Amino acid sequence: MKPKRLSYLLGLAALSLVLLLAACTPESRSSSGAPKAASGGNESTAEKVTIDFWTFWGSETRRPIIEKIIEDFNNSQDRITVKHTYLPFGDIWTKNLASIAAGNPADVIINDYADVNLRASKNQNTDLSEYLSKDDIEKQFYPELWKNVLYEDKAYALPFNTDTRLLYYNKAAFREAGLDPKQPPQTWKQLEEYAQKLDKKNGSTYERVGFYPLWGDFGVDSWLINGDGGNGYFGENDQLAFDTPGKISTLEWLKSWQDRLGRQTVDAMKADFGSGVSDPFISGKVAMYIQTGTYNTQIEEFGKDLEIGVAPIPEREEGSGHWSSGGGFVVEIPKGAKHPDEAWEFMKYLTGVDAQKYWALKNFDNVANIEAAEDPEANKNAVYKASVENLADTKVFQVPLSASGYKDLINPHTDAVFLGKETPEQALQGAEKDVQALMAKSK
Amino acid sequence: MNRSAAPATGKSSGGAPKIDAYSVPVGKRRRSPREVLVFVLLSAGSLLFLLPLWWMISTSLKSPQEIAQYPPTFIPKEFHFENYVHTWHAAPFTLYAFNTLMLAFFAVVGNVLVNSFIAYGFARISFRGKKFWFSVLLATMMIPGFVTLIPQYVLFSKLHLVGTYYPLIIPQFLGSAFYIFMLRQFYMGIPKELTEAAKIDGANHLYIWARIVIPLSKPALAAIAIFAFNGAWNDFLGPLLYVNDEVLYTLQIGLQSFRGSVQTQWNYLMAGSVIVLLPVIVLFFLFQKYFIEGMNLTAGTKG
Repeated sequence: MKPKRLSYLLGLAALSLVLLLAACTPESRSSSGAPKAASGGNESTAEKVTIDFWTFWGSETRRPIIEKIIEDFNNSQDRITVKHTYLPFGDIWTKNLASIAAGNPADVIINDYADVNLRASKNQNTDLSEYLSKDDIEKQFYPELWKNVLYEDKAYALPFNTDTRLLYYNKAAFREAGLDPKQPPQTWKQLEEYAQKLDKKNGSTYERVGFYPLWGDFGVDSWLINGDGGNGYFGENDQLAFDTPGKISTLEWLKSWQDRLGRQTVDAMKADFGSGVSDPFISGKVAMYIQTGTYNTQIEEFGKDLEIGVAPIPEREEGSGHWSSGGGFVVEIPKGAKHPDEAWEFMKYLTGVDAQKYWALKNFDNVANIEAAEDPEANKNAVYKASVENLADTKVFQVPLSASGYKDLINPHTDAVFLGKETPEQALQGAEKDVQALMAKSK
Repeated sequence: MNRSAAPATGKSSGGAPKIDAYSVPVGKRRRSPREVLVFVLLSAGSLLFLLPLWWMISTSLKSPQEIAQYPPTFIPKEFHFENYVHTWHAAPFTLYAFNTLMLAFFAVVGNVLVNSFIAYGFARISFRGKKFWFSVLLATMMIPGFVTLIPQYVLFSKLHLVGTYYPLIIPQFLGSAFYIFMLRQFYMGIPKELTEAAKIDGANHLYIWARIVIPLSKPALAAIAIFAFNGAWNDFLGPLLYVNDEVLYTLQIGLQSFRGSVQTQWNYLMAGSVIVLLPVIVLFFLFQKYFIEGMNLTAGTKG
């Protein structure tokens, strides 16, 4: 008898569990594949479509901006409703991959420039050429950015935003050193002269360093582009361009800065750098510093008394070009999305003038739409204006498919230069050989 | 708790005498140098382990300016308790906490019930191919989670369950090799006489499992409950992959909203982390005994 009661109790427990489980199914199984027809009480249009839009903009600053843009889109027409879902940066792409594999991805997602081509080759995003033949919007974007959404001459994404690097300089320090704050350095030679004048030493330690090329947001890769006429590691047809005379002399030049200041000084000062108020430029430890356009918001927050100017990155010699480097994000349709047509409508809106202008105004972030980027309202901000002008000299590079992961091969060589273990020529030759081997293997 | 089954517990839980060893009076004045050394080393070790925890708490009370300061301050100059209030309201954390609690509840119920049920079968019932199936079960422990991630996702997607909590709850009711192994070893230690006596009295397996084995294995089950709770509470990848609606997000996903592509709001992230960690710490102190016993169970299963 007792065992019977027991199994009865167990059965009851199981039943209540099932009921509880049923209760926690959300009302809308939007992504489960079955599109829910006429979800609300809206009877106006029978075929209103809800599309999923995934971004990593969940912070208190960015979320309201993107959600306002979505709201405007939803109100602008009555056929499509965009549902925004925030996913953590980085992890968003893990989820994207899993959902593509399972065939239930989002309809629109924000992704990285650097490997649009990789995703296209692996069938992870959607070819947009059919839509582009109807709405030719290619011309509204910066050509440099457009280049990066192409795979085998077909577009697989639309550029959304971008960034560029500029030389920030401390005007008060310029005056103190007897330099004209209206005349930032134009060439590498001037940069060196200025830097030495701006150095402030107390005994053998530096109170202020005028400039050190590898502090800030402009690494060896970026300098090699700047010093080699705007050319990256990979030329036409994925030809390697590592040990070019331009790159060798650039690396030599970078090393000469370390030789002058001393490796110990460079390392010791670098160890002291923080962010915010202890940022080296904001705290006055460095007089000239290369950073992105949005770095200005940090200066406004933490360095209110700082009087700053911005200038393009100095060029190697007059006429060689003030080349800078950039990156940013694109919008694309994951492969297998349920509503690509509606997704396209929304992508057009996202990259259109109104939305892009709003994004630029609120974030002071560089946008991909030329007309929006050059809008006079946002350009009232001097640093933003300078960053927009700088886009003309900014290079954004696509990595050849077969060389994906190449940076891990280059870094050890460039590090060896600064440790004095390899000459710049040896390092670039070695790097080229390693990358070549990688490309041969993956072809 | 144990009183109902008092005569049996002393005999069954082989770990019990070990615990008594700690309470042997050490009050004798003289301690050997070796003991002192061990004590000092252990204290230093625990301080080392507590340091990150302190750092988290201290960061959670600072202003962004103070966090960025160099050299860093160990104790905040100003205590910004409002960070906690702000954090809680920056995202719908009350909802997230409720969601996470619900998932944790199912994880605990599922793991405790199902695993002990399966383990009973392996420990007490003899059937053909038992050894084979048990080794198959153990072999599944060798497969890293990342390998099964995508296939499992595709499976749930084909069942049209992605976007709901089912993919996070159902697996909790399908047994876990590690817990089954752990419980089976524990059940093997329960004297056969007890279950056999019950059998002679006419009890079936279900009855023996529910009325004899479960009450005797409370420490092991508590350990599993704690592990399951912790696992569900701290799970990030599961909810990230399977849930599409922000209404269903959990605390671990909510925390990530303070970490952006450009900058991280450390004070809020740390305040959130403290809040999320709190239940785990409370749980630890309440069930400390079982935590330790759980570890003994896993370590002492060689025989």
